[in-house]
Amino acid sequence: MGWMLRKRSAGDALFDLLIAVACVFVFLIVAYPLYFVVIASVSDSTMVATGKVWVWPRGFSLFGYSEIFGDTRIWRGYRNTVLYTTLGTFVNLLFTLPAAYALSRPEFRARRWLMFLFVVTMFFNGGLIPTYLLIKGLGMTNTIWVFIFPFCVNVYNLIIVRTFFETSLPRELYEAAAMDGCGHFRFFWSVALPLSKAVVSVIGLYYAVGHWNDFFTALIYVRNNDLQPLQIVLRDILLSNQVFQSGAGTGGDAGGYAQRYADQVKYGVIIVSTLPILLVYPFIQKYFEKGVMIGSIKG
Amino acid sequence: MKRAWSLFLAILLAASALAACSGGKNDNGGDGSSGGSAEGDAGRRVKLTAIMIKHALTKPLSEMEWLQAAEERAGVDIEWEEVTADWDQKKGALLSAGDIPDLIIGPNAITDADIAMFPGLFQDLRDLIESHGPNVRRMFEEKPETRVLATQTDGSIYGLPKYQRYWPATATRQYINKEWLDRLGLEMPTTWDELYDVLVAFKEQDANGNGDPNDEIPMDFAPVGTGGFGFFHPTVLLGSTGITLTNGSGQGYFMEDGVVKNFFVDERYKRVVQFLAKCFAAGLINPEVFTQDYTKFQAVARGEGDIAKVGFTWGWEVTDRFGNTLAPQYVSMPPLKETADSDVQVSWDYSYEALNYGVNMVVMSAKSKNKEAAMRFINELYDPIVSMQVLFGSIGPNIKDNGDGTYEVLPPADPNMDPGTWKWTSTWADNGPMYISDDLQLTLGTDMQSVGAQTEPLMPALNAIDKENDVLPTMFIKFTPEDNSTMALNNTNLMNLAMAKFSQWITSGGIEKEWDGYVKEAERTGLPQNLEILQRYVDEYKRNR
Amino acid sequence: MAQATRTAAGVVRKAAGTGGRRTIWQTVWRDRQLWIMILPAIVVIFLFNYVPMYGIQLAFRDYDFTKGLTGGEWRGLHYFRQFIDSYLFWDIMRNTVTISLATILLGFPAPIILALILNQVRWKRGKKVLQTVVYMPHFISIVVLVGLLNVLLSPNTGIVGYLLRSMGYEVNLLASTTAFVPVYVLSDIWQHCGWNSIIYLAALSTVDPQLYDSAKIDGAGKWQMIRHIDLPAIAPTIVILFILSMGGVLTTGFEKIFLMQNTLNLPVSEVISTYVYKVGILSNQFSYSAAIGLFNTVINFFFLVATNYIARRVSNISLW
Repeated sequence: MGWMLRKRSAGDALFDLLIAVACVFVFLIVAYPLYFVVIASVSDSTMVATGKVWVWPRGFSLFGYSEIFGDTRIWRGYRNTVLYTTLGTFVNLLFTLPAAYALSRPEFRARRWLMFLFVVTMFFNGGLIPTYLLIKGLGMTNTIWVFIFPFCVNVYNLIIVRTFFETSLPRELYEAAAMDGCGHFRFFWSVALPLSKAVVSVIGLYYAVGHWNDFFTALIYVRNNDLQPLQIVLRDILLSNQVFQSGAGTGGDAGGYAQRYADQVKYGVIIVSTLPILLVYPFIQKYFEKGVMIGSIKG
Repeated sequence: MKRAWSLFLAILLAASALAACSGGKNDNGGDGSSGGSAEGDAGRRVKLTAIMIKHALTKPLSEMEWLQAAEERAGVDIEWEEVTADWDQKKGALLSAGDIPDLIIGPNAITDADIAMFPGLFQDLRDLIESHGPNVRRMFEEKPETRVLATQTDGSIYGLPKYQRYWPATATRQYINKEWLDRLGLEMPTTWDELYDVLVAFKEQDANGNGDPNDEIPMDFAPVGTGGFGFFHPTVLLGSTGITLTNGSGQGYFMEDGVVKNFFVDERYKRVVQFLAKCFAAGLINPEVFTQDYTKFQAVARGEGDIAKVGFTWGWEVTDRFGNTLAPQYVSMPPLKETADSDVQVSWDYSYEALNYGVNMVVMSAKSKNKEAAMRFINELYDPIVSMQVLFGSIGPNIKDNGDGTYEVLPPADPNMDPGTWKWTSTWADNGPMYISDDLQLTLGTDMQSVGAQTEPLMPALNAIDKENDVLPTMFIKFTPEDNSTMALNNTNLMNLAMAKFSQWITSGGIEKEWDGYVKEAERTGLPQNLEILQRYVDEYKRNR
Repeated sequence: MAQATRTAAGVVRKAAGTGGRRTIWQTVWRDRQLWIMILPAIVVIFLFNYVPMYGIQLAFRDYDFTKGLTGGEWRGLHYFRQFIDSYLFWDIMRNTVTISLATILLGFPAPIILALILNQVRWKRGKKVLQTVVYMPHFISIVVLVGLLNVLLSPNTGIVGYLLRSMGYEVNLLASTTAFVPVYVLSDIWQHCGWNSIIYLAALSTVDPQLYDSAKIDGAGKWQMIRHIDLPAIAPTIVILFILSMGGVLTTGFEKIFLMQNTLNLPVSEVISTYVYKVGILSNQFSYSAAIGLFNTVINFFFLVATNYIARRVSNISLW
């Protein structure tokens, strides 16, 4: 018995060592390029491009950031994006979660063909032109609604939630609740949702990040400058600093002026645009703690 | 089952009917606002809408003094939508929904292909030019080629061109580091072999004198795209063999004695590639030449402090290419001969037309409610004094009015800024419609002057070009949509084959073995069909002149 | 509508009384709460996805602006044939399948493994930091990612190039046709692995901790716990996501490949999406692009349906 215990713990120790090594390896591989983005955003672009910047920033300057924040549109962009992201994600969840619940119920007869019809839309679509005509016909172009309602049910996310509901809600749970006279509405609201905080936060995150990064909607459907989200503004700033890469070829004059800072802006834009959404993650991380759901049932 | 369906459909129909109602209302509102005030209404300006495809650097249109003044003179008040990026994606939806503003301005923003594909969307401007466009008429009279640029095959005119006069006859200049030559006691090369020897010396010796004989890059050229060549590429060496490139000849097409050819299947191109492969094998070309991006290409040539790294390369202008510190080390170099005993008249890339003219700079919506007002505004842009400001910026901050009918482009307000950036920041610059009349007396900025000076060594070769028979006039030709798409598809195929082979032969050799098979393969891409189409159009163009 | 529900209610009561076989209406009535829950999603999907679907016929027609999207001349399979007969067809099909299969084969298991590893980390702070770090690359835009690749992989000046050189490999990873797919796939994993592992972490969080305790008492090692507790817990998610990813056999990211393309890797990097971009942008080939898109879609959908069928048979887990 003692021998077995020792053997097992030796195996587990080796296992823990392997895990630790893997984690350090993953950390280094992922973190270095991220760190590089940060130092590149404050270094001389020429030195970055010629491989002079490896560990510490060189030719330190905050030109990139002053360029980014010097653009007054950026604050309006931030405000719009925060609005579209919160409102949009709320609507997404409002439409997706109940539907996913319905589709997860084995007794729901229509679930299979509804699911099929939903999945079809992941593949077949009419293309940009008819979609544009439709959204224009609905009077949504140039309004904030175009960011909120069209395609507010993402079938991929719907499937993930449905799968989660199917596997993590024990079947007996609803049967027991139904005996007590609990309908689907109440069961969904007071049992299914609280038990599924993990998936709700994941899907909420998926949707929120989708809204946050979306520039295509604004590009195609919005012409009013006051409604432009952050990504469009940043894209403009980014492009205005990358123009020298093609400017010369189009017969104009390429300048050396912004050349030195082009990449600063490129890397700075990434930091400016993602920092806020990165900060969201730690808040939802707590819902992935091992066993947190089970605890909530018992509690 | 049936009833379930009908219930389902009823709900959806109700939903879409609601949607349709709100859509309709919105449309009416839109029409009302774009209609604006009646034309005769004295004192009130006509409201127009417009899209401007501007350069990403360009400041907001509302801050351009010349534009405000021009709108006022034309009696219009324009609501601008400023587009800097992704116009092609945006355009598809706008055009197919017929959802366009009164004016669209930008370099070839609406192409001939778009005009052909969306009939009825754009206004034929012929009558409006007659009645409200004296400045446009003047351009057509003084520069008849601008009328050719504007006219579609059926004689209609949808988009108006630009003429900007001052740009040089070629985009690509050839630079060599004179200081390196002097330090190593070398002469400026005049032939390929001499160039090779010079490059070898650059590589093997410490040409930049920093004590490290291995940090010199003897030759570098701009990143080569997968869709064909552009400017600043070694294809200008084809000039040594007597081939005249037109506007860079990106996809290989050139003209020789009135015959349209493609250099990708020409023996002379094979010799250029062989020469480059020889250089590459000897380590004379930047090993990253095919993988670096444009930023790096430019960054490398800026060297480290006052130590230059690149010996021989191509570019637009010397300070742009090497930065202000290193620029004095470099000189512009005349075209090379292929061999010392070659009696071929050397040539160069001729891109005068692409640099000085542009098509479809402005188009008008056929649905515009105020066509006369829109035309008045367009006409205003083609006024030579306004055009000058379209190109270089407002009189005052950007241009000095000497008061005697002469003008002068002012240096940038910020001394750290180069004149090119200053121009692009201040105004529409090359993206605007304009007519820079040949009588305009304007002193240019330092950048344009030095481009002119650096083109001098190339001028003998450029002047020797037979512009009738050796310059491909594609810019002045309108193709039918069918021919256009046939050629585009064939060219996509050809570029896939040819550009891959070009870089492969240079980096790993093998052209001698593969050339014949490659030429046969190129036939399969549809190249003969393209040559036949182009020849047909060129012949017709010449007949009509 | 109110009428309909009232009669339906009547039917249900009657049916319940007679104990006969339930009709459609009875089940609809029984599931009325579920129908109400799913109705908003149905409306949105119908409106925004099904209504514009008439646009698909563009692949079979010429585009004629004056006659509208559905008014152009009917060309049948002309544009499909044009694609299949085109000079580059086999090249781009081979490249597309190679890239996407490599992405699925290597990219699919990676987040699962990462989630299982993260789940084993007991040092809470470290776990949180690592989790946040691996999640970040997802937010790097493709332009910047490709810029990073260019800088870091440069054989002369990049850190990866330097490491390879010091190990004796003199290669330009950006230039070779053999390195293109690995670089593409590995950078993809680098970027999305952490993000994609989130859903597995969420699934793992539902495991009852008591299961581990009782397994420990039974003398199970950590490997066994992963195999017998963790993996089964996330198996349904794995299967579902695998089915979905098989629906992307002919899908490759456009922007990244386009930006990574250079003339040296072109023989392996021209894929369907870059080809469509090139021919579409060059000359307004609406119908041709639509046909290529539909061709793509049909094959993808076929693979999805097939995988779904197999999964249903083998594991009893499926999309529908």
